[in-house]
Amino acid sequence: MSARPSAFGGTLRAIGWIGLGLTAVAVALSDFLARAPAGATGVGPMLEAPSEAHPFGTDLLGRDVLSEALHGLSVTLGDALLATLVAVLLGGLAGAMAARLPNPMSAVLRWLFGVLAAIPALLLAIVIIGLTARDYAALAAGLAAAPFAFVRAFDKVDVKSTHAEYARATGISSTTLLKRDLTYEFRDTLAQTAARALAAVTIILSTLSFLGFGSIPPGRDLGLMIAAAKASYLSAWWTAAFPALALVALILFARLAAGLDEGERA
Amino acid sequence: MVDFALRQAGRFAFGLLGALAAAAAISVVPEAHGFGPYLEAWGLRLLSFLEFDFGKSALTGMAAAQEIAAHLPATLALVTAGGGVALIAGVLLSLLFATGAPRRVASLLLLLLAALPVFCAGLILAYGAAKWLAWPVSVNARMTEPASIFSADPKALQLTLPAVLTVGLAGAAAVQLALRRATAASAEQRFRTGLKRLGLSQIEIERFYVVPQVAAGLLASAGEIVRALLAAAVVAEWVFHRPGAADLFVKSVALRDWNMAALILFVFAAFSFLADLLGRLSAFALVGEAVP
Repeated sequence: MSARPSAFGGTLRAIGWIGLGLTAVAVALSDFLARAPAGATGVGPMLEAPSEAHPFGTDLLGRDVLSEALHGLSVTLGDALLATLVAVLLGGLAGAMAARLPNPMSAVLRWLFGVLAAIPALLLAIVIIGLTARDYAALAAGLAAAPFAFVRAFDKVDVKSTHAEYARATGISSTTLLKRDLTYEFRDTLAQTAARALAAVTIILSTLSFLGFGSIPPGRDLGLMIAAAKASYLSAWWTAAFPALALVALILFARLAAGLDEGERA
Repeated sequence: MVDFALRQAGRFAFGLLGALAAAAAISVVPEAHGFGPYLEAWGLRLLSFLEFDFGKSALTGMAAAQEIAAHLPATLALVTAGGGVALIAGVLLSLLFATGAPRRVASLLLLLLAALPVFCAGLILAYGAAKWLAWPVSVNARMTEPASIFSADPKALQLTLPAVLTVGLAGAAAVQLALRRATAASAEQRFRTGLKRLGLSQIEIERFYVVPQVAAGLLASAGEIVRALLAAAVVAEWVFHRPGAADLFVKSVALRDWNMAALILFVFAAFSFLADLLGRLSAFALVGEAVP
């Protein structure tokens, strides 16, 4: 079923990785590029429209929206990378391993992750934060995204592949087969799996912050910035529009880097 | 068919049991300290859950089941209306962008749509409604009398439409993905060549063989679509200040009313499992085989 990516798909993937690279550069240089430190109020007049002095305008507390968006992007990306690591290790790796485990163990794991995957990831993340603390938002987002990574990785392993049949017929152990899968197939798709998880956890993390379960001020991420802009954006669109654009760009680049899905393929 | 139905029913029952166990595990968290007492409390709570005793809301003192019964209809109305929008928009878009260059444009549009978090979509719709249509919006104020989704009153419609569209947009992305996945799978089926050799025209093949396959693919993804709609309802109720079960869930977790939060989580998981079951059975009935 896995078709080779088309030239169009390859171009989109390259755009995604370049976009992610540029985002990483912007984040690395955020303290240098930003015109004001994170959370600095009264940098300009209240709710000033985009101008030469403040290209993205200012918010209700006179904060420079460009500087705040850069700092917010930095917080969002940092948390999202941590969450991606959790989702890939706990979901992707466990899914790939579970496919080669003996049937009863594999069935129990599938059932456990299947139950968790039936709960919308956002709700699962909210519960995990409620049971722990808002400081663990990145961990919660990673844990909430893990069941989907598990299901995806599990489904990717072809248990009836020619090499698996050959291994069984010649008495090669499941452990050896698993090592082979992890060395070749999991490694080869790791970047793609990680990019897909990055997009998913970024959406979860920003929504958590928007609902008041994510980042804690003064360390504002993009979701919290947009939540704060809710009070003013109907009269001052720039307070929400630029942080939202930065957020959508990050998610879009990650999705492009992951490559098009079976259903998304052009 | 009977074998398949029994397998799916078993899967549904095990799924519900797992969701019930997870809900019981969440609801006893504040009550028990230490692993042993926690396990004991969890077992007892699971037994009372199995007897349909879901405890009381820590905030209102009402039975949790009664509380959810009061809030669920609003969420279900939002999800149903959003689901309708999702199906219409998703299917129409699929027909418009089915082949050739439009399919490429659609794949980019779909990527953009999927990259837009639901709360951003909600805020954009609210902005459009307030600025360009001069409609009343409820993003910054709780409605004293929340408008009914199925009301014929134009003002009620103006207040509810952005929320319904927000949920519908999230659902449309899921519907589109399911349809395109099913189309991609059917494009690789060997029966196409065989039917062509038998002398059937492209239109006949599409109409009598491909459409049922694609429809079955969509039905088999019903659980996935319902999950997208429920998650979107949580955000839409929060953005537009609509009191429903999803809004109640967020407040219950924030205020540590774990009985309530656990029950809502179980109900949402049950809807997801039910949609999975019905979708897979309908897909099987449509094409006579299990759809992955």
